[in-house]
Amino acid sequence: MTQEGPFLESLTRRLAECPADFLAEPRIGPAGKVHVAAVVSDLIRDLGGEPLIKAQAVAFEPKDAKKHRNRLSLALITCWLLHDPWFLQHKRFAEKAYEFLALGLAELAEHVRAPLCVSDPDRREELARLCLKALDLRPAGETEAQAQDRFNTLNTAERQRVIRAAREAEERARQIREAMARKEAEEAADKWSRE
Amino acid sequence: MTDAERFPLLTEHGRQMLQRLREHPHAPRYTAQCGNRLTADYLRRVLAFEAELNAGSHDWSPGAPPKWLDGFVEMCFRDAPFYRRYGARPANFHDIPTIDRADLSREIWSFVPDALSLDDLIIYATSGTTGHPLTIPSHPIVGACYTPLIRAALARRGIELKSGRGQVACILVGYQRRAYTYPSVTPHQDDAGHIKLNLHPGDWRDPDDRAKFLDECNPEIYTGDPIAFAELMKLPLRTRPRALISTAMGLRPGLCRALEAHFGCPVLNMYSTNESGPIAVEVPGAHAAPDPPTPATSPPLTYFHPLQPRLYIEILDPDGRPCPPGVRGEVTLTGGLNFYLPLLRYRTNDYASLEFRALQPVLVGLEGRPPTLYRGANSQIVNDLDVTGALHHLALPQFALHQLADGALYMKVVRGAADQRQIREALLPLFGSSQALTIEEVDSLGDKVVQYTSDLPPVHPAQT
Repeated sequence: MTQEGPFLESLTRRLAECPADFLAEPRIGPAGKVHVAAVVSDLIRDLGGEPLIKAQAVAFEPKDAKKHRNRLSLALITCWLLHDPWFLQHKRFAEKAYEFLALGLAELAEHVRAPLCVSDPDRREELARLCLKALDLRPAGETEAQAQDRFNTLNTAERQRVIRAAREAEERARQIREAMARKEAEEAADKWSRE
Repeated sequence: MTDAERFPLLTEHGRQMLQRLREHPHAPRYTAQCGNRLTADYLRRVLAFEAELNAGSHDWSPGAPPKWLDGFVEMCFRDAPFYRRYGARPANFHDIPTIDRADLSREIWSFVPDALSLDDLIIYATSGTTGHPLTIPSHPIVGACYTPLIRAALARRGIELKSGRGQVACILVGYQRRAYTYPSVTPHQDDAGHIKLNLHPGDWRDPDDRAKFLDECNPEIYTGDPIAFAELMKLPLRTRPRALISTAMGLRPGLCRALEAHFGCPVLNMYSTNESGPIAVEVPGAHAAPDPPTPATSPPLTYFHPLQPRLYIEILDPDGRPCPPGVRGEVTLTGGLNFYLPLLRYRTNDYASLEFRALQPVLVGLEGRPPTLYRGANSQIVNDLDVTGALHHLALPQFALHQLADGALYMKVVRGAADQRQIREALLPLFGSSQALTIEEVDSLGDKVVQYTSDLPPVHPAQT
């Protein structure tokens, strides 16, 4: 966060105006529409880098939709964000942008449904700040300390929500597993045919 | 568990029926107790299901999914932890990832919707044919809904069940070395009797009791699998049911014809899975001209009518793309009876094509799952269900058993899952102590492994 970047509001507004093309279903196997690797490659080129080579594209061509579609959806939205003219005109963010898109979104994808980063103000700010941080930038008008503090506040609140939700989910899963183990020793219920 | 818990709505005549089935001098040695567990509220829900089932036809056609699908998908993405992890719900149904038995096997608890109470949860254990044993969470209502589905299947053949008070409606027969057997009653059939029993002589005080008891019960229908029906045909029964319903395995046409001739009644072939409940019933001799007609040289294909009102069937190619009507692919299910296991694009590992006859969907050329019958060291037949039973206590997550043409057995198990000595101790009593058996431990068997296979010529169930 050593250097000043664009105004945060310009980024969150850009996210709120994310066009439908960047919210479309990412292509994974036969499903979906948008080839994410191609969109990322175009962005990297526009940011002053070289188009992706095959080894780089692999990060955006997973086979298992169940695991990766939310991450790829986030990558598409982030591509839209990084197409902001402020980033394009500097022609120096290609490398960091690729790293962020390929590796930096996995954690966010675990707990935030991608469309929320467009529809929900807090999640818009979270993605915008996460993105700036990955590029070693801070929002215009903020000091490094302010940017870090605001990032932490957002991140902490979200993290606490996620931890709470994960704890509840784990507790429910444990209850189901225990109920199933207990019922294994019990009688089931009658049915007229079997499989 | 007490009878009051097993049979919350038990009537006096139901109690008498149970007593008769339990204490009959020719009754089998039941191995379990089991009841319908239906409360008045649960029974109302079963009857509501039956009303919906009888109300009409399937409201889907090529490219137009059923109306209930949208709400069901919404519920899955909102309430079921497994589907929630996919992220936001895709706009297009076909972009929803598919699941298979391996997904269920890994963490079946994560399919149980958040809001469901666990108080009356029950479980069914299943071995399956793909090498992924499952313990399925379910509910007494789910099991009870099989009866309306069976009635609907019979109605397609013009048979209306009439049995009620004081009569035995249905006997579910098996033929396994070990089976879970019990007598019960069915409240939505005025507490008519229902029995699950095993025709294996070992389950009876005297093997001759089998025919005596079955004649005494004189059930209106039998349900079971082809192996059990082949055994049933050998018994000197005086009584005749109104229908036989075959489930669990593919019923070969030859055995079907032999059973129909022997019992003088229709034999229905039902396609059913533990994960979904009864899916479809075969239409007999239904080699009717398809639209458009297929070339005259094409082999005749029978077709199956889907039964459940809220079970959407897709046919997918190996890459997961929907096949057009008439093109063969994997039967893939969404919806189903079991609200503890909402299925969203569940690939069954069964294959068929989907066509539309009189605007209604039908499954054409369904490939059932034929039983694998092994030969033991003394030439005895060993049913794959008995292999499952023998290995059950070892809780193997995945295995495959293959018999080579020379009779030797070759088994693959996932590394570290069980002790080889324990596997031998479980299998050799079935096959004989001199049976050749090689056990290989592997890292994984993949997702599509077929659990039971043999190089020996297939044995017709009727030969056992």
